[in-house]
Order: sequence, then C-alpha cells, then structure tokens
Amino acid sequence: MAEKPIILVIDDEDAMRDSCSQILAKDGFRAETAENGHVGLEKARDLKPALALIDLKMPGLSGFEVLERIKAIDPGIIPIVITGYATVESAVEAMKKGAYDFLPKPFTPDELRIIIRRALERRKLAFEAESLRREKKVMEENFITMVSHQLRSPLVAVQQYFEVILAGMVGSVEDTQKDMMLRARERLERLLHLINDWLDMARISRGQIVDKLKPLALDKLLDRQVEFMKPLALEFRVGLELRPAEGPALVLGDEQSLEQVFSNLITNAIKYNKPDGSVTITIRAEDHTILTEVTDTGIGISREHLPLVFDQFYRVSRREDQKLKGTGLGLAIAKKIVEAHNGSIEVASELGRGSTFSVRLPKAEPEDK
Amino acid sequence: MNKSPKILVIDDDPDFRAAVTPILKSALYDVVMASNPQEAKEKILVDKPDLILLDIMMDSLFDGFSLCHAIKTSAEFKDFKDTPIIFVSAVKEIAGSRFQFKGDEEGMVGPDDYIDKPVKPDDLLARIAKFLKK
Repeated sequence: MAEKPIILVIDDEDAMRDSCSQILAKDGFRAETAENGHVGLEKARDLKPALALIDLKMPGLSGFEVLERIKAIDPGIIPIVITGYATVESAVEAMKKGAYDFLPKPFTPDELRIIIRRALERRKLAFEAESLRREKKVMEENFITMVSHQLRSPLVAVQQYFEVILAGMVGSVEDTQKDMMLRARERLERLLHLINDWLDMARISRGQIVDKLKPLALDKLLDRQVEFMKPLALEFRVGLELRPAEGPALVLGDEQSLEQVFSNLITNAIKYNKPDGSVTITIRAEDHTILTEVTDTGIGISREHLPLVFDQFYRVSRREDQKLKGTGLGLAIAKKIVEAHNGSIEVASELGRGSTFSVRLPKAEPEDK
Repeated sequence: MNKSPKILVIDDDPDFRAAVTPILKSALYDVVMASNPQEAKEKILVDKPDLILLDIMMDSLFDGFSLCHAIKTSAEFKDFKDTPIIFVSAVKEIAGSRFQFKGDEEGMVGPDDYIDKPVKPDDLLARIAKFLKK
C-alpha cells in the first residue's frame, strides 16, 4: 500500500494521545486523534481509519458505546481498546462487543507496536478474503448465467423452428409429421426443464439464498400460489384449499425460491392425486417457526420409498405418464432451498391414502429488517 | 395506411431470425434484420421500422438493455422514441434470480412488452397487432 494506514486514537488524556501519536508516526503510520467519543466517531466516518485505539473510560460517550457505533460506521475498522482498569470483565465485554484486542495501561511502545502489527495483518487478511469471496461469487453467477444461455439457446432455436412449422407457416404438415414433431418438441421441453432444474441445483448449492433473506408474509405468498394453481387443480379435478394461520405468518425468506418450493409441493400434490381428491395447505405458527403443511389425498408413497423422495433424480412414479412430467429434481431442490433458509422439510405418507409435506421456516422477528 | 408496417428483428442468432421471418410475413409485415446493435442502429435510421423485436441477450446482457434505452432516450433516435419495442428472450434467470426487468432501478427505459423464446406465432402476432393497430 502506497498510502500510510490511518490509526485513530480516541482517548481523553492528552498524554496518551501524544505518546501514541509519536510512536505511530515514527513507525510510518498516520496517527489521528480524538479527545472524546463523538469526535472519534466523526473522524472514523471522515477519515476511514484502518484501526482505532479506543479508551474505555472516557467522559461522555463511553468506550463501549464508541466500540459499538464504530462497527456500524465501517465494519472494516479494527478496534483495539485501551483500558486503565484492565480487569478481566471489561476486557471480555470489550471483546464481546467486537474489539479485536485490548491493551492494558500502562503499556510500552513495543506492546503497542505488536498489537498494531497484528491488527493490520488481520485487516489485510479480512480484506483479501472478502475480495476473493466477492470475485468468486461474481464469477460463479456469471458462469451460471452464461452456461444457462449457452445450453438453452440452441434448444430454443430448434423449438422455434418447430413452432413455425407446426403453425403451418412454411407449408402444410401431414398428421404423422405433426405428431412426431409434437413429440420432438415435448422432449426438448423436458430437456429445457432439466437444464433449468440442474442449474437451480448448482445455484442453491452455492448458498446465494442466504444473502437474500428478508421478512416475508408467507400467507400472502401461498395465497398467490393457490390462486395460480387453480387452473391446474381444475384440470386434475382436485379441490384446493388454503387454511391460513390466525395472525400474520412472517418468515425470514427469499420470495422467489420459496415460491419455487411451494409451487413444486402444490403441483405434486395436485398431479399425484386422485380425481375428486383434495389438496389442503395449512399454515400454523409455532414458537420460533412457521409450519406449512401441504396435504393431498393422492396415491401416497410406500414406506420403502419414503426416505428417498428428496434424493436427486428419484421419482416415485416410474410410469411414462404424459401428465406426470418432471425431472426428478423438484423435491431435491425444495429441500436444498428450505435448508438454505435454516428450515426443514419432512414427509409423512400412507400408500393409497395420501401424503403430507411439512415445511418449517424460521419466523421473522420484529427486529429483522 | 397502404404500406405494410415494417418490423425490425434484432437478434444475433441466425436461426431465430430465419424462424421468425415466416411468422411475420404470414401477417404481411415487411421484415428487416439486424444481427448486432451497431447494425440495428443503422437499420433503424435507414429503414424506419414501425416496431422492433429485440433480443435481450446478444453478446452480453447489456447490449439489449442499452440499445433499448438509447432508442427511447437519445437525440439520435428522437424520431423513434415512440416506436414500440418488444423484448424477446430465452433468458429466464440472471445472476441467480428469476428474470425481471428492473429498468427503473437501473435508471434505464425498458421495452413496451416482452415475450419468451420460443415465441408462439399467434402470441407474437397478437402482441404486435396490439401496438400497430393504433
């Protein structure tokens, strides 16, 4: 680094500020000082120091308060507390509040130097780790987007030709030709689904959901899903009902991925049902979680198959039913998403009677913003 | 109007251009093609299309968005700022999230409509007709 690292000394004692400044300047740092907490925080904001030496016992804003607020200003600033009353308790409390280390008064110049050097090393490592993490994330995201595009484009181009031919726009098509082309188009459709699902799997493994968690009204999300699924339920002659919880059902979640989870569960519940069967979605608030149960009156899953339903590429029904198209990744994706939310998903089932999928998601507490 | 409306198809995929042409011709539109943003800009000024079909993801994601923004806002294309633009794309996800055009957030002017690839011929023609009827 060409620029001198800035070290901010926040201490109400003139002598402390002067001696620290001298030692630091001699070692090639730019020392800045503040005689109280307020000035210190202001300087932290303006100067963006690398480290801050904070005296715990100051009139006005205490060192502990400065410690807490400085983290909010810039989490990159490494705070070190200076304490004249170096008791274990105050040191422990300071460390708990995010201090990197503590320096009991009186200290020698060498003691200061050692701690400063270690803290700067730590800051450098933290920076490097952070920039590597970001770089990796961007690369992964771009990679997935590009792979997605490269894999999909040729398939979509072929589908586009089928659309035009099937619409009779480039000459008439005989029935047998049409039939084969429809089948070919169907196979392509499945392959596209598989690519999408596979990319979803890749993406979720990369833990990108965690960054997007925020408080979310699960009841509203499910209400929209149910509305959206009504035509499908009608097609399969299955009743669809949502029983919301009393009061709000606020979870900490990522909207789009949770939509994917419940869309998958509800679609399965409809498709693997019996005619005139029903699908019931119940939301219940528990102590720290919101429980959503999707219950169907369908074909059910046998006991030996039950532990396997969340496995990749596992499908309960192996028959080539046109209506039951899927990639075998849906539930595996659902499980990954729910677990990325720190939630859980379970299934209970009785062959011939139906299944219940239970999803537990962490409640959003009022302080989660 | 006696003359058939003219549609500019901007897409780097020759197969898409080849496949979409018969759809547009079936409804008696004039069809003009461009395979990259530069060519597109020239064709807009020379051929004066009545509507534009624009692929979002050409070489990069930015191409489609910035071209759309340029047509809608720059002085160079001021005669075409009201020309309807329909985004056409096979992109369903961008960098981890389901695709949504968030033009306002990016400070960019978005398209008038947007349709997924592969396009259904009837759907495409209906959307085009909606804009060109007025």
